[in-house]
Amino acid sequence: MSGLRVAVPKGAIFEDALVALGGAGLPVEVLRENGRRLLYQAEDTEFIVSRPSDVPVFVEHGAADVGVVGKDVLEEQRPNVMELRDLGTGACRMILAAPRARAEEVQRAISHAEVVRVATKFPNTARRYFASLGRQAEIIELHGSVELAPLVGLSECIVDLTATGTTLHENDLVVVDEISHSTARLIANRGSYRLRHEEVAALLDAIHGSLHG
Amino acid sequence: MQRGTTRKFSTTPGTRDILPPESTRLLDVQAKILKRFRLHGFREVLTPALEYSEVIEEPKLRDVSFKLFDPDNQMLLLRPEMTTPIARLVAQRLGNSPPPHKLSYGLPVYRRAGVGRGQSAELHQAGVEVVGSTSPGEDAGTIALLIETLESVGLRAPRDLVLVLGQSAFYEGYLRKVAPEAAAGLLVALAAKDLVRVDEISAGVVDEAPGVREIPRLVGPATDASLLERADQYAEGEAAAAALENLQEILAHLDVGGHLGSVMLDLGLIGRHNYYTGAVYEVYAAGLGFSVANGGRYDNLLRRFGEVLPATGFAISLERLLSVLPHEEPAPLLVLVGSTVEATRLAEKLRFFGVPVLHLAEDLAPEAAVGYARSVEASWVGYPASGGLKVAPAEPGSEFEPTPIGKVAGRMLS
Repeated sequence: MSGLRVAVPKGAIFEDALVALGGAGLPVEVLRENGRRLLYQAEDTEFIVSRPSDVPVFVEHGAADVGVVGKDVLEEQRPNVMELRDLGTGACRMILAAPRARAEEVQRAISHAEVVRVATKFPNTARRYFASLGRQAEIIELHGSVELAPLVGLSECIVDLTATGTTLHENDLVVVDEISHSTARLIANRGSYRLRHEEVAALLDAIHGSLHG
Repeated sequence: MQRGTTRKFSTTPGTRDILPPESTRLLDVQAKILKRFRLHGFREVLTPALEYSEVIEEPKLRDVSFKLFDPDNQMLLLRPEMTTPIARLVAQRLGNSPPPHKLSYGLPVYRRAGVGRGQSAELHQAGVEVVGSTSPGEDAGTIALLIETLESVGLRAPRDLVLVLGQSAFYEGYLRKVAPEAAAGLLVALAAKDLVRVDEISAGVVDEAPGVREIPRLVGPATDASLLERADQYAEGEAAAAALENLQEILAHLDVGGHLGSVMLDLGLIGRHNYYTGAVYEVYAAGLGFSVANGGRYDNLLRRFGEVLPATGFAISLERLLSVLPHEEPAPLLVLVGSTVEATRLAEKLRFFGVPVLHLAEDLAPEAAVGYARSVEASWVGYPASGGLKVAPAEPGSEFEPTPIGKVAGRMLS
């Protein structure tokens, strides 16, 4: 039914994406065979595996027809793609967190409109969050292990994604505020959504069926 | 110091020098497009690259514009698109001539590009605007012209391209009638192509108004009559009914021109700019993730310039179009080598016989001459010789053959 090229994210929502796509009848088993490959062909569907934040890039440029990606990434990048379906899986929260000992201090600083330093992998999300509060922040962009930043004095708090809270807990960080909820989404390239509409619509229906069936 | 100087001699991010053969292809395609526009009576205009900042009102376009200040300290923009400048031109300059005004252009526009997003800051566009008519026949006419134009430069419809057609007043009209409180949020979500958000908002109102969720999902070939029948269930309220009727009229016009096969309806397409008020469309080509052309009806834009003139038009993105056109062989060209007066005379004579000649007024050995010819995409190399000239294909090691002047054109084209 497919003939589509599908972008699948590595990491936390990889399994969720596979379950959703597999439930819709796509031959996803091939993706479980070999962890090193980037491009897989199964029947007439092609899969590419990339970092979650790169999925919207592949889809926006039409290098993939459809993809699975967290709402958090879409919020951060605001790519020009069609957002078609909430898969309901891969649930996580975008949070503002600070070290337990300084959490109150950070909260007070924010409420007094003092400038706080925030480390994050999501600079646009962080900027919009503070702007929506009418508060100011100095945003420091990191590419990994954001939890480290407040422990070594790089920042006072972090804006990051958490599913279970384990990493926060292990590093003695507490949630100061919840910014948003995120789940995995099915997105499509604007051109593919029209040029391959039959295939994309069939995939959408199948996913709908497996979600609600 | 040295490094700083070097940097200033590169082009600014998002811009580039366009070299042959790409530059010649771009200009050839633009010339073909403008010629096609003229066949429909569209006349070209040129507007300044600089406009007063107030001319462009659309927030998204203002955000991406390059800004400058003139000597009176007025803010200027490098035009980020052509529709608004043409609306301004019509309102200011053409008040005394009878509408509709059918104008065309082939000009670059400028937008600040995100670094690393593969975007250009300078985009070449060719397009038309019909100003001063509300007739759906004009919407259909420009759509048909767009499809014909894309075909004339080498795309085959419907195999290589699809024109996605929506009617931005239909969904809006329906929402204002059945769910006025939710309308604004729904339109923002749909403009952002976020159907998940549309579902979320519509969950609260969907029982009384199923169209809130269903209209954006009405997508399919224009030849599929059932799609419009389903849309007809939601034609509630005057505005939505009128919009659907307008769409049906446009389709009727397109049908008689034989263009319906290239058209796909998408009632969730409402256009990227707030100024669209009716039919709105985008063209997608196989193998390209971005739209090649887009357009639509904007009946209120000219009010800002003091005129009540409804209008419709489209713009083709030439760089994107070029990237999906089939490769074309370069036009035949002969490099004639020789510094003598005889060589100059020969070059003139060959051109008289219709042979495109690049005269290289140097004495160059055949090997170097072939190398030069290949660098300028010339297919033949020639030298003056007794009784005419000797020519050879521009390939290493090819044999020169004596050829009479009158026969050169024949050999080159064979």
